[in-house]
Amino acid sequence: MEKGLTIRRIVVAGVLSAIAILLGVTRLGYIPVPTPAGNATIMHVPAIIGGIMEGPIVGLIIGLIFGASSFLEATVPLFKDPLVAILPRLFIGVVAFFIYFGLKRFNEYVAIGVAGFIGSLTNTVLVLFMAVVRGYMAPKVAIGVAITNGIPEAIVSIIVTLAIVASWKKIGVSVKQKSKISGKF
Amino acid sequence: MASQFELTRNITIGQYIPTGSIIHKLDACFKLLSFTIMLIAIAICGTYFGNIVILAFSIALFMLSRIPIRYGLSGIKPAIPFVVILAILQLLFYGSVASGGTVLVKSGFILITTDSLRLVVVSAMRFVEIILISSVLTLSTSTTELTHGMERLLKPLKYIKFPVHEFSLIITIAIRFVPTFAMEMEKLMKAQASRGAEFGTGQWWRIVKRTKDMFPLIIPLFNSAMERAEDLILAMEARCYTPGEVRSNYKRYHIKVTDIMVLLFSILFSILILFYPFPY
Amino acid sequence: MAMKPILEIRDLEHVYMKNTPLEHRALSNVNMTINKGECIAIIGHTGSGKSTLIQHFNGLMTPQKGTVIVDGEDVLNSKIDIKALRRKVGLVFQNPESQLFERLIGDDIAYGPLKMGLPIKEVRDRVEWAMEMVGLPFDEMKDRPTYALSGGQKRKVALAGVLALQPEILVLDEPTAGLDPRSKIELLDRIKKLNRKENITIIFISHNLEEVTYMADRLYVMANGTNIIDGTPSEIFSNKNILKENNIGTPETVEILYLLQDAGFSIDSRQYEVDGVANQISSILQYFQEVRANGISV
Repeated sequence: MEKGLTIRRIVVAGVLSAIAILLGVTRLGYIPVPTPAGNATIMHVPAIIGGIMEGPIVGLIIGLIFGASSFLEATVPLFKDPLVAILPRLFIGVVAFFIYFGLKRFNEYVAIGVAGFIGSLTNTVLVLFMAVVRGYMAPKVAIGVAITNGIPEAIVSIIVTLAIVASWKKIGVSVKQKSKISGKF
Repeated sequence: MASQFELTRNITIGQYIPTGSIIHKLDACFKLLSFTIMLIAIAICGTYFGNIVILAFSIALFMLSRIPIRYGLSGIKPAIPFVVILAILQLLFYGSVASGGTVLVKSGFILITTDSLRLVVVSAMRFVEIILISSVLTLSTSTTELTHGMERLLKPLKYIKFPVHEFSLIITIAIRFVPTFAMEMEKLMKAQASRGAEFGTGQWWRIVKRTKDMFPLIIPLFNSAMERAEDLILAMEARCYTPGEVRSNYKRYHIKVTDIMVLLFSILFSILILFYPFPY
Repeated sequence: MAMKPILEIRDLEHVYMKNTPLEHRALSNVNMTINKGECIAIIGHTGSGKSTLIQHFNGLMTPQKGTVIVDGEDVLNSKIDIKALRRKVGLVFQNPESQLFERLIGDDIAYGPLKMGLPIKEVRDRVEWAMEMVGLPFDEMKDRPTYALSGGQKRKVALAGVLALQPEILVLDEPTAGLDPRSKIELLDRIKKLNRKENITIIFISHNLEEVTYMADRLYVMANGTNIIDGTPSEIFSNKNILKENNIGTPETVEILYLLQDAGFSIDSRQYEVDGVANQISSILQYFQEVRANGISV
C-alpha cells in the first residue's frame, strides 16, 4: 500500500466527506428503524467506507470533517460540544480500516461487514462515553442507548457498507448470480 | 407535499452574511485560532459566573458583527424542546452521579444536589454560547476564507509532516460537492418515486428491509460520487498535481495589529474565565 | 374523429422559493392539451421551465395555481391515488442511467413492478416486454451486471425500468442527450415504435430540432416559463416569421431550403424533412443538368 496522501486519497476523502455532510444536514442520513431515537443514522458510514477503501488517514479525515459538520449543524446541546461531536468521530474510519485489514485475508465480505459493524459501534460507544464524561447523560441511560440504538445502527451499517464497497470494488455481493425474475414460473 | 423532494433549500452550509463589520474584516486565520481557544475555554468552564460572563460576551460579539440576531436565534429555537427535556432528565436522574455539594431535593429515586443543578444550568448556557459564537464565525467568514485560514493556521504542523495543504484541499472538495450531491439526490428521489419507490415504509421492526428500501437512493449516490471522484482524479493528474509539493498562493496575507489584539484578548479572556475564582 | 385529451394543463403556475428573496417564477400561464396517442415535443431554451413543467405531469410537483388533469382526473383531487398516477405517467429523467441501483439488469427493471406487488410471473412478463421494447434480449441480458454496460445500454435499462410500469403516457427529458449518433437514432426509433405500435402517448423535451421534426406530431415552444406557440412541425418550421419572432432555431434542412429560396430558387417549405429536401435539391440539380445538356449558358 502506498503511503501518505495520493491524489486518489485526497479526492475520495473529499467526496465522501461531502456525502457525510449531506447526510447530516438533510434527513437522508436517518433510516427509520426501531430505536428510542426513532431512527438509525448512516452519517458515519462514509468514514467507514473511506477507511476500508483508502486507509486510516482518509478514514480519520472523513471522521474529522463529519464531526466538525455535525458540531456546526447541531441543534442539541450534546453535539454542540466538540468533545462529543468531533473527537469520537476521528476513530470510526481508523478502527474500520484495521478491522478490514486484519480480516481481509480470510474473507473479503466478512472483513467489510465486520468493519462496518465495529466501525459503527466505535461511533456509538465513544460518543456515549464522551456524553457520560461530559455530564450530558447518566451512565445507565448511556448503556441503554448503546444497546437499543447502537446495535440496530451497526446492523444498518453492515448492510450499507457491504452494498457500497462491493459495488465500488465491483465484487458480487452474494453467490446469487441470477436475477429475481429468472427461472420458470 | 410539493416540498418533499426539495433538499437544496435546507442546506445552509457556507451561509455567509457580509456586513463589513470589524469582525468580518479580521484575518480568518486569527479568527479561527481565537475561536478555537475560546471554544475550549467554554467547554471546560463550569461555574455560574463564568458562564454569565461568556454569555454576555457572546451576545456582545454578535452585536459587534452586525449580523441580525435572528440568525443566531434560528439555531437555538428548534433546540429548545431538547434542551428542556435534557435539563429535566439530567435534573431528575443525575443526582446520583454528580452527588457532590449539598442535597437540595431527595424523594424516592429523585435526587437533586447543588452539583447536579449546576451541571444542568451550565450545560444549557454553554449550548447557547457555543451556538452564538460559532454562528458569528461561520456567518462572518466565507468558506474560502475559512479553508485558507485553516490552512495557514495548520502550517506549523508541516514540521511534524502533517499534510496541511492536502487536508485543506480535501475540505475544499467536500464543501464544493455538497450542493452538487444534494441536487443529485433530489433528482434521484424524484426518479425513484416515479418508479414507485417508497422510502421508509413497511413493518418497522424489519431493520434489513427498511435499510434496503433506501438502496435506490444511497447506492446511486455513492456510485455517482465515485464517478465524479474518478473524473476529478483524472483532471488533477492531467494538470500534474503532485501532493506534497510546495505551492504558491495568489493571495498574500499581512498580519494586522487588530488581529494580534483579538488573539491576545481571547487568550486573556479564556484564562480569566477558567482561573478567576468566581464565587459560584 | 373526436380525440380524447389524456393530459390537460390550465393556467399552470409555479414559483420556486416563494416569499423569499430568491423567489423565481418558473412557470406561469401554461396551457396544453395533449390527446391520447400523440407524440409531443416540448422545446425551449434552458431555464424556460420545461423540466419543472413535466414534473407536474405525474404529481412530483403539485400545481400552486391552475390545474393538471390526467386522463380526466385532477391531480389536486385529494382522493387521487398518487402511485397509480405515477404508473400511468412514466417519467424518465435526464441521464436516467444514474438511477440504476440493482446489481443485475433484470432486478433493476423489475423494481417498479415488484413494488406494485404484482405476482412474479406478471413481473417477469412485464420485464420481458419492456426489455424487448428497448432492444435488450431478455434471456441473454437479464442476469448480467449493470456496471458492465455502455452508457447507451444503461439508458435503455433505465427506460425499460419505467416501461415495466406499463405507463399510458411516457414523458422523457432529453432522451438522447449525450448518446452517440447511432444510439440516438436507435433510441428514437424505439420510442417511435412505442408510440405507433403500443399506442403510448409520448411527450419529450428536446433541444434538437432534427429530432423534433423526425418524431413529433405536434410541438410546444416554451419561453420564460410559458408556452408561447404550438402546432405541427410543418406549421411551425415552414413559417419563417414564426421562427424568427419566437427566437426558435431552425432545423438544418429548413435552413437549406431558405438559403435556396434566397438564392432565387422556388422551393416548397412544407417539404422540410430530410427526404423532401433531398428531392428538392436533386430536382434543382437535374434542372441544371438539363440546362447544360441543352447548351444554353446560365
